[in-house]
Amino acid sequence: MLPLVSLTLFLPLVGAVLILCLPKPTARTVHGIAIVSAALTLVGALAMWLQGVSGDGFSQVEELEWMPAIGAAYRVGVDGISLPLVLLSAVLFLVSFIYTSSLRDRPRAYVALILLLETTAIGTFTALDGILFYVFFEVSLVSMYFMIAGWGHEDRQRAALMFFIYTLLGSLPLLLAILGLYLGSPDPTFDMRAWIANPPLEGAAAMWALIAMLITFAVKIPAIPLHTWLPAAHVQAPTVGSVILAGIMLKFGTYGLVRFALQMTPEAFREAGIVVLVFGVVSAIYGAFAALAQTDLKRLVAYTSVNHMGYVIVGVSAAALTLDPAVRATALDGAVLQMFSHGLVTGALFFLVGMIQERAHTREMGEFGGLLKTVPLLGWSFVLAAFASLGLPGLAHFPAEFQIFLATLGTTPIAVVVILGIAIIAGTFLKALRETFLGEPRDRWNKMPDLSPREILAVAPLLVLTVATGVAPSWVLDVIHRTTSALVL
Amino acid sequence: MGRDLALIIPEIAVLLTAVGALIAEMLRRPRISLIIAVIGLVVGTGLTLRLLGTDTTVFGGSFRIDTLSIWAKLILLPATVLAMLLARVDVRGSAREGTVYSLLIFSTLGALVLAGAGDTMFLVLGTLLTGLATFALVAYPDTDPATEAAMKFFVFASVTTAIMIFGLSYWFGASGSTLIADLPAMDTMPLAVILGFVAVVVGLGYKASLVPFHFWAPDAYEGAPLSIAAYLSVVPKIGALFALTQVVRDLPPETGWAAVMAGLAVLSMTYGYLAALVQDNIVRLLAYSSIAQSGYFLLGILAVGSSELALPSIILFAAAYAAMNLGAFAAAATTGRTLSDFEGLGRTRPLMGIAMVIFLLSLVGIPPLAGFVGKFMLFGAAIDAQFTWLAVVAIVNSVLSLAVYLRIIVPMYRAGESASAATDPWHGIVVITAFAATLIIGLAAQLFIV
Repeated sequence: MLPLVSLTLFLPLVGAVLILCLPKPTARTVHGIAIVSAALTLVGALAMWLQGVSGDGFSQVEELEWMPAIGAAYRVGVDGISLPLVLLSAVLFLVSFIYTSSLRDRPRAYVALILLLETTAIGTFTALDGILFYVFFEVSLVSMYFMIAGWGHEDRQRAALMFFIYTLLGSLPLLLAILGLYLGSPDPTFDMRAWIANPPLEGAAAMWALIAMLITFAVKIPAIPLHTWLPAAHVQAPTVGSVILAGIMLKFGTYGLVRFALQMTPEAFREAGIVVLVFGVVSAIYGAFAALAQTDLKRLVAYTSVNHMGYVIVGVSAAALTLDPAVRATALDGAVLQMFSHGLVTGALFFLVGMIQERAHTREMGEFGGLLKTVPLLGWSFVLAAFASLGLPGLAHFPAEFQIFLATLGTTPIAVVVILGIAIIAGTFLKALRETFLGEPRDRWNKMPDLSPREILAVAPLLVLTVATGVAPSWVLDVIHRTTSALVL
Repeated sequence: MGRDLALIIPEIAVLLTAVGALIAEMLRRPRISLIIAVIGLVVGTGLTLRLLGTDTTVFGGSFRIDTLSIWAKLILLPATVLAMLLARVDVRGSAREGTVYSLLIFSTLGALVLAGAGDTMFLVLGTLLTGLATFALVAYPDTDPATEAAMKFFVFASVTTAIMIFGLSYWFGASGSTLIADLPAMDTMPLAVILGFVAVVVGLGYKASLVPFHFWAPDAYEGAPLSIAAYLSVVPKIGALFALTQVVRDLPPETGWAAVMAGLAVLSMTYGYLAALVQDNIVRLLAYSSIAQSGYFLLGILAVGSSELALPSIILFAAAYAAMNLGAFAAAATTGRTLSDFEGLGRTRPLMGIAMVIFLLSLVGIPPLAGFVGKFMLFGAAIDAQFTWLAVVAIVNSVLSLAVYLRIIVPMYRAGESASAATDPWHGIVVITAFAATLIIGLAAQLFIV
C-alpha cells in the first residue's frame, strides 16, 4: 500500500526543493515543475478520494514515531470533514499555478513559496497530531507573509506585516489550548484521535481551552470583530495570494472550529454555543452589509467571504447546540459543504477580479460598464460565479446554505434572521454586475482582450465544479455525511 | 578515585586542550593552537557521548555526572568550536590569536563546572573561571570601547560574585555542609535558606544576564568583538542556567523559590524585549533579546521537581538557543552592526538572508524550527507545574518578540544597498552549521529528550 496521504502531502514540498536546487532554471522550467507537482498532488488527492472514508473515525491513517517521550508523532489521515478540503486544496493550487505561469518577476521564489503553502495547507487538514497540526498551521503564515510582502500591490509591506502579526497573535492561544489538552489527557499524548474519542478537559479548564481556540479560529475565519486584517491583506495580496487566502486559509479557521472546538471540547461548546452562534450571525450580516458598501471589486469579494464564513460558524454552533444527531449531521454537512463551495466560488471570483485588474489597472466598479459586451467570456464567467456566491439554486452554495438554515431552524429558530444576509449579498452582486458588466460599453475599454487560454484553464475547472456541486451535491455530501452522521459528541 | 577520574575524562580533555592551545601559542604557532583547540573540543564531545544515560556523582557528591552536565558538554563544546571559528576572523594575524582560543576553552571549562555543580564551592569556582577568562576576552582588542566594556563587566561581576559567596556562607552555616544535596536538611532555618538563595540568584543571575542583573550585558557585548559577544551570550549563560537548575533541584519547595523564578522570568522576558524594541544597534538588540531568552529558561527551571517535562525542556531549549543565537550573531558579523546595514540583505545575498530569517523566526518560536520545540516544551513544563499564568505571559512576550525580530527581517527585503562584502568562509561555515542545527533540532527533538 502506498502511503497516499503522505505522498500527496509532501509532493509539493519536493517540487519546491527541486526548484530551489536547480542552478539558474528558466521561468518556463520553474512553472513547469510547479504545475507537474501540483497535478501529481491532485492525482494523489483523487486517489485518496477513491479510497474513501469509513464512517468511523479516521481513514487512511499513517503513523511514524517522532517524539515518543512526549507522545508526539507524525500522524496523518482523513475523514469526511477533511477529505473534501484536501481535494479543494489540490484543485485550487493546481489552477493557481496555471494562472501564475505567466509571471516573470522572480518566479522561482514565488512558486516555491506557493508550493510550500500547498504542503502546509494539506498538512493542516490531514494532521492528526496536535503539534503537527500547529506546525503546519503556523508555517502557512510565513509563506503567505512573504508572498504578500514580495509580490503584492503598492502598500504590501504594511498589509503583510499586519496580516502576520494579527494571525500569529491569534494563533498563540491555540498553543495554550493544545498544551492544556495534552496535560489534561490521562496518558499524555498529542494524538488528536485520542482527544476526540475522550475529550480530556472538563469544566472550567475545557471552557478556557474553548475560549483560546475560538480566539485563534475567529482571527483565521475571520469573524467579527477580529476580521480587520482581511480586507487589507486581500487588497494588497497578489491574485493567487487572495485566491489561496480566501479559498484555503480561511478554512483553517472553520476546520479548526469543527475539529478542535466542536470535537475536543463538546460540552463547553454546547454551553457557549449560543454566544458563538450570535458571533456567526453578526459576522454574516455585517459581512453582507460591508460588501454592499464597497466600490472596489476585490474588497467586495473579500467581505462576501466574511459573510459566507459567518454561515459556517452558524452551522457549527447549531451542531454544537442540538442534541438530535440527525440535525447535527445536517448542520455539519452544510457547514463542511459551505467550506468546499466557498473555496471554488470565491477562488473563481478572485481570479476574475485579478484578470480585470490586470487589464484595466483598476478595480473601481464605477470606472467600468458594459464589459459583458467587450469581454463576454470573462463577463459571463463572473456572472456565473457571482450567482453562485449569492446562493442561486443549482450552484454550489445553495445546497450548503440550505442545510445550514434547515438545521438552524431546528435548533434556534430566531437565528434564521441570518437569511437576511442572502438578500443583502444578492443586492450587492446585482449592483456590482450592473455597474461593471451591464450598460453601455465605454470607449476606453474597447481594446480589452477577452480570456486567454491560460486564464480559461484557470477558471473553467472551478466553474465546472461549482455547477457540478450545485446540481448534484451528493458526490461530495456522501463523503461528508458518512463522517458527520456517525459523529458522537 | 579511578572511577571518578574516568567519569570526568571529558572535562580533563577540555583542560588539556586549553593547555595545549596555550603551549602552541607560546611557541608562536597560532594555527596549531587552533587545530589543537578544535580537535580537543571535538574529542571531548565524542568522549561525552559514551556517558549518556549515566546519573551519578563524583568526588564525594561535589560534582554531578547527570543528564544536565552531560548535555551541557554536548551543547557547549560544539558551541565553543563555532564561537572559536567566528573569533578566528577577528583575531587572525593578531599577536594574541592563540591566547584567545585558550581563554575560550578555559571559560567553557568553567561553564561545564557550573553545569555539573553538586557543591556550592563549585558554583564559586565555575563563576570565577568563566568570569576571569571572559574579562580578558572582552578586553583583548585593546580599544577604548573594549576596555570600558571589560571594566564594567569586571566590576559588576566582582560585586555579584562577592554577594554570592557571602550568601553561600549562610547555607554553609545552616547546613554544615557545602554540598547542594544537603540543603534540604536546613529547612529549620528559613531565613538563612532564603538569604543564601537570593545570593545565588544574584551570582548566577548576573552570569545568565537575568533582569535585574543584566546591566553589564548590552555594554559588554557592544564593546567586545562580535565573536566574543556571541560566545558570552551562549556558553557562560547556559552554564549558569544549568547551575541554577542544579541548585533549585534540591531546594525545599516551601521556600517559595519557584515564585521568585517566575517573577524573574516575567521581568527578563518583558524588559528584554521592550528594550530590544528600541535598539538600532544590532549587537545591543541581540543582547537584549538574549536577556529575554534567559527568562524563557526559567519557565523550565521553576518546574524542576514538579514536572517531568522540566529537564528535557531546559536541555532542548539550550541546544536550540545555542544554535539559533550563534547563527544570528554570525550572520550579523558578516553584515554590520546597525539595523540599516541589513537593508536589502535578502536581495543581495539571498542565501544569507534565508539563514538569518530562519534564525530569527526560530528565536520567535515559529514551528517547526528549534526555538519552537524548545519553547513549546518550556510552556508545557510551566503549565504542568501550575504556572499557567506564566505560560500566558511568555506567549504574549513571544508576540512582542516578533515585533523585535521583524525589525531586522523587514528591511532585509526592502530595496536597499546592503554592503555585499564577500562572506568570509569561516563565517560561512558557522552560519551553515548553525542553520543545519536549527532545522535538525526542531525536527529531531526526540534526541534531546532523555
